[in-house]
Amino acid sequence: MGLAKQWRTELSDLLRGASGGFLFGIPLLYTMEVWWIGSYIGPIRMLLALVLMFGFIFFLNQTAGFRRTSDSRTASALIDSVEAIAIGIVCTGLVLALLQEITLQTPLHEVLGKLIYEGVPFSLGVALANQFLKGDEDPVEETVPPVSKSQSLNATLSDISATLIGATIIAFNIAPTDEIPMLASAASAGWLLLIMAASLLISYCIVFASGFTNYQQRRQQKGIFQRPLSETIASYLVSLIAAMVMLFFFQKLEFGDPWQVWLSYTILLGLPAAVGGSAGRLAI
Amino acid sequence: MTSSPQSPQGKSSDKPQRTVAEWTTFGIASGILGAIAGLVIYAWATEDARPPVVEVQPSPEIREAKGKFYVPFTVSNTGGETVESVQVIAELRVNGQIEESGDQHIDFLSDGETQEGAFIFRRDPRQGNLTVRVASYKLP
Repeated sequence: MGLAKQWRTELSDLLRGASGGFLFGIPLLYTMEVWWIGSYIGPIRMLLALVLMFGFIFFLNQTAGFRRTSDSRTASALIDSVEAIAIGIVCTGLVLALLQEITLQTPLHEVLGKLIYEGVPFSLGVALANQFLKGDEDPVEETVPPVSKSQSLNATLSDISATLIGATIIAFNIAPTDEIPMLASAASAGWLLLIMAASLLISYCIVFASGFTNYQQRRQQKGIFQRPLSETIASYLVSLIAAMVMLFFFQKLEFGDPWQVWLSYTILLGLPAAVGGSAGRLAI
Repeated sequence: MTSSPQSPQGKSSDKPQRTVAEWTTFGIASGILGAIAGLVIYAWATEDARPPVVEVQPSPEIREAKGKFYVPFTVSNTGGETVESVQVIAELRVNGQIEESGDQHIDFLSDGETQEGAFIFRRDPRQGNLTVRVASYKLP
């Protein structure tokens, strides 16, 4: 295998792991009680959590894992476990920094507590990545049959509904909670833009870069969601609308609220909604 | 954290060998995990068992807007342990009588952490005697 191909496969494996982590871990990343536990937990409990997490993920890696080539030998499962936890901790750290729950002013033990306690569910998701959305075998280039206009419309509608369903399943748990207003109060325009960029990037990675199931099928999918870039942007917009409707449903947003509140709440809930929406599109 | 297992070369070669890319990722991943475990052990070794010392400092810069007076304050924990539900109370006395008071709760205050807030008064606090104090906290 050429070096470039090796790295491409490896990157795709890592992104698949991270995508699984986002699917499983994002609701808890938006849970303030977990941030609080991270704030006061002692170092001994943190070490215990790391050891328990390692053990559990090791068992998961022997059956599921996140690599395309599932190699369940003990040594491989051990190596994959180290990697799953590292992916979990890095991604968790990035999202917590994005939500400003970890800043340069946060004391060290609080950073560690939050990383470890948020990293646990995330790493479980990494180790379950293949189980969530089974990877397809070696993708083959396929010829795309010509599609009629009505097929194209149907494909677009099924993509939109899949995005809506996925976004609703993940973001519905978060919409009625107090985290969104709380996070919004700390988010300035620059942070909101960063969150939008992260939502688009994560959504793109889940659908196109991680080589999850139906990848080839997605490439064949017709309609306005045809190209990876336009699909990512269009489905992000659908996720944002879904997020806004959910916030309105739970009366977190009212007609009298200023438009800035609508915007910031929607963008903040848009991140988990985009993660769910991407998973939804893979499931069809 | 874990000792890196030996490359399973030569045994059951039906599975593909780990590639350079995979070993590089593993190296970086063990570095990250090792650093986290190391930092937790460091936090453990330097753990401060001193009881919490919570102080509040009102700012001398009082801001006036729309007839109200804003007194910013910073509350910090210089002790060892993290505290929860820190209650900060402000009382404005004029001629020995409490004219206005306010209180504020801070969810969490780790050791070395500082949080900011403000009390709002209708009267000018500079015309009276303002006391801002930490009334209580609980241990998590």
